[in-house]
Amino acid sequence: MVQQVMVQQVGAVTSEDGAGRAKGRSSLMRSPQFSSFVILIVLLVVFALADGNFLSPLNISNMMAFLPELGIIALGMTLLLTAGEFDLSVGAVFALAPVVVMLLVQNAGVDIGVALLAGLLLCIAIGAINGVIVTKIGISSFLVTLSMLLIVRGAALYITQGFPLKSWDQPGFFVTLLAGSFNIGAFRFYTSLWWFIGLSLLAVYVLRYAKLGNWISAIGSNRNAAVARGVPADAVKIWLFILTSLLAGLAGMISAFRISAASPVAGTGYELEVIAMVVVGGTALTGGRGTILGTIVGALMLRAIRNGIVLVGVPGLAYNIFVGVIILAMLILHALLQKNATRS
Amino acid sequence: MMQEVLRLQNLQKSFGSVRALKNASLTLKEGEVVALLGDNGAGKSTLIKAISGVFPIDRGDIYVRGEKVSIRSTREAMDLGIETIHQDTSLAPDLSIARNLFLGREPVNLKWLGVFAPLDLAKLRDAASALLKRVGISKKLDADALVSTLSGGERQSIAISRAMQFAAKVIILDEPTNNLGVEETHGVLRFVKEMRAAGHSVLLITHNIHHVFEVADRIIVMRRGEIVAEQTVADTDLLTVESLITGADLSALMKRAQ
Ligand SMILES: Nc1ncnc2c1ncn2[C@@H]1O[C@H](COP(=O)(O)OP(=O)(O)O)[C@@H](O)[C@H]1O
Ligand SMILES: [Mg+2]
Repeated sequence: MVQQVMVQQVGAVTSEDGAGRAKGRSSLMRSPQFSSFVILIVLLVVFALADGNFLSPLNISNMMAFLPELGIIALGMTLLLTAGEFDLSVGAVFALAPVVVMLLVQNAGVDIGVALLAGLLLCIAIGAINGVIVTKIGISSFLVTLSMLLIVRGAALYITQGFPLKSWDQPGFFVTLLAGSFNIGAFRFYTSLWWFIGLSLLAVYVLRYAKLGNWISAIGSNRNAAVARGVPADAVKIWLFILTSLLAGLAGMISAFRISAASPVAGTGYELEVIAMVVVGGTALTGGRGTILGTIVGALMLRAIRNGIVLVGVPGLAYNIFVGVIILAMLILHALLQKNATRS
Repeated sequence: MMQEVLRLQNLQKSFGSVRALKNASLTLKEGEVVALLGDNGAGKSTLIKAISGVFPIDRGDIYVRGEKVSIRSTREAMDLGIETIHQDTSLAPDLSIARNLFLGREPVNLKWLGVFAPLDLAKLRDAASALLKRVGISKKLDADALVSTLSGGERQSIAISRAMQFAAKVIILDEPTNNLGVEETHGVLRFVKEMRAAGHSVLLITHNIHHVFEVADRIIVMRRGEIVAEQTVADTDLLTVESLITGADLSALMKRAQ
């Protein structure tokens, strides 16, 4: 009798607290990008109170000039991390791409448009090599892209003999496209901000609303499960490596045009700065959970921190202590939120 | 006469020097539950991975409804109506139930956009809710809930309902009751019976012989990559099956002991 009742109840194969858990599931307030956003606001308020110049048009313009360059790379890195991989070669690609473009223009007399295209093709090739080795040979992306960092940075240094190149500074279509500037009131913005906004919208769309985004999250969350459902995991990853490399190269060109110099050591350390932006925004380093909005918040946060602590008067050599502490605090916060949200 | 749905002929598969599958042949008929038994390492998972397109076979033929097919990817297996719930992998924990149910077969708008096509979120959610209701796993599970918040049994139910939703001809379950509680296990067995009632063919891999006698029509035993025995459940008993699996003649031993 007792047994019979039990078997009938089991029919439902579910537990009673199903509804309760569904309700308590991570709402907007507890989502990582939201907590990052709150902390960003707090930081901005603290810096603004500590130094009146922080929110001045000049300073905001300055921050907005830098922001897109790292931010654009961070968008690609977010998608890649969500699929469960990352790329340490972005900082080196950031340097090599404009260096190659400038060498082609200055030494080989190649048309600037053609040179830019060649630079982007080189980025595609680098990304494809990363992706193919990681997926087809099965070496971890840490090792593959670390080696690629050395190769690419070494190549940039070798072909320039270590000297920075003067960048293309004649006005024209491509300069305007990549590094043109415009004023809104007292603010001065670069076209790179439009690139960042446009690419951000695209990335939000892809990750949240497109079929591809579903695949990317599934691959990072449980690759074998995704493959078992017919998702072409390797191809998706290879394309994401290509995208990340391409965005790193684009960012490098934007930067080189803005400051009219292409340096073989540009972007040193950017790979870690970009990964920090992404994880501070709430994307999981282990894959499966990615948020573009979080990355935008993370990019703003790291930019604001670097800028703010200078204004506040923290000694230059102590910058990284603060940056590191704030990143660590953010990660601990995310981990605690995640622990509350998931039962295991 | 029940129609043959799946026939495997002399399948072979090696991993380096390990011959995981040597000459495996079997048939599966419409509305039939076949239990595939065997010790760890016997080659059961390898056999069903070959059928579901996880990796290509080295040699042998596969027939679906009498027609010879080649299955080179998981997608092709699914398109042939073969749905598999793998032992180790079935769901993506960071995705919602609804997104998992339609993973790889997402309903989209603007189909011409290919992989960039926007998900039809309303349809996704409605279909998922309807499915959860239809398979009886409660009106209580929210289609938007993340799979990481579900229990093992709930996850297994989701994986099984996903296999059912595409009206697959053949459903393969690789040790579906592993790590499940008593109640959840009964739920899974109930699903198997429901699937048979709905006309699906089921290939069930399990270590629990009691389950076999509860739901299966036929038993196939594998040992070291080969199919060593095939019996209808009605014509056999627990001891015989156990001795077939281990290779030792248990019933003879028992008789001697008596
Ligand atoms: N991907 C693989 N690579 C190498 N050997 C494998 C692989 N998959 C299975 N094997 C080997 O094939 C044999 C059969 O394994 P498997 O089919 O998983 O057995 P079962 O599911 O019956 O326990 C084992 O010896 C196992 O070690
Ligand atoms: Mg197995």
